[in-house]
Amino acid sequence: MSAAFDTQTDSATLTSTGEARDFFALLKPRVMSLVVITAMAGMATAPGSVHPVIAFAALLAIAVGAGASGCLNMWYDADIDQLMSRTAKRPIPAGRVLPSEALAFGLTLSVGSVIVLGLVANLLSAAMLAFTIFFYAVVYSMWLKRWTPQNIVIGGAAGAFPPMIGEAVVTGDLGIHSIVLFAIIFLWTPPHFWALALVKAADYGRAGIPMMPNAAGPAATRRQIVLYTLAMAPVAVLPALMGFGGLAYLIVSIATGLVMIALSIRVWRTTEGEAATKACYRLFGFSILYLFGLFAVLLVENGLGLMWALPKVIG
Amino acid sequence: MTEPVKQPIVPAAFSPEDMARRRRRSIALALVLGGLVVFFFIVTLVKTGPAILNRPL
Repeated sequence: MSAAFDTQTDSATLTSTGEARDFFALLKPRVMSLVVITAMAGMATAPGSVHPVIAFAALLAIAVGAGASGCLNMWYDADIDQLMSRTAKRPIPAGRVLPSEALAFGLTLSVGSVIVLGLVANLLSAAMLAFTIFFYAVVYSMWLKRWTPQNIVIGGAAGAFPPMIGEAVVTGDLGIHSIVLFAIIFLWTPPHFWALALVKAADYGRAGIPMMPNAAGPAATRRQIVLYTLAMAPVAVLPALMGFGGLAYLIVSIATGLVMIALSIRVWRTTEGEAATKACYRLFGFSILYLFGLFAVLLVENGLGLMWALPKVIG
Repeated sequence: MTEPVKQPIVPAAFSPEDMARRRRRSIALALVLGGLVVFFFIVTLVKTGPAILNRPL
């Protein structure tokens, strides 16, 4: 933390005038929505069932826990957030919320969400949520992010845990279904993040963050984007082959996976000028749609009982 | 002897606009806390189930 963000001496600045929406922004609502849909998919594909009210309560706790980790991330990263155009308008660097307020808010929600999940669901899911918060806020934000270009590869695990927490809520255990969902998100994270990092390399350079394009160069990053996408696309089809994704999932995962591969190849081949930037943004934007789409189809098929019979290759 | 009336400590830096923002924040917090009370009540009912009626009278 920079000195600008950890000393508050003026009595008038002991508390901010931040509004509810500023505190809501600290929870990274867009990330939270992805966490909700992936955790829901983990619950829906789990072998078993849970009372709808308990499912809703558990989802709320998981969403708040994920938001809390985002809040702690913003608290820790306020010094570098102010240096980057993408993050300079966040509540802390913009001066709408004090770092101390964000820290208290994040810690309170972290502890509260873990306790609530433990009470409404079970200890395993609560422990996993606690680990996820710790992994994102401490392992990723405080350690990996400023230390290694593999930051978002390893840190991506934090974003991949929610389906496993969802399954743990339903079964009190961990099964192969949620491990496959974990693998999809884990392999999706590098191409998603690096597509943006290629465009924002100057920002990350100014903040001293060793993102892959800054540390290994744009060419190596582009190559790795293609490799990760090639690894991810087949894994994303596995739910259909294993029987917990239906025909719709099979079609959507193959079609959108091919689009992801095509877009990643375009990023790899288009290296100069406006076209390169456009290719990166296309991949970044479509990758969000891709993950939302996969999990939404999985959710509809399982949640609404619309499974079509498919030969089970595995499991 | 009467106690002096205690005035709330309001830093001079807060303008009426700032105070209005703080008031909106307090209302939002109150709504969240009220929502939590309802949430815990409903979850307790569901978790306990029909056994909630089994108690010594």
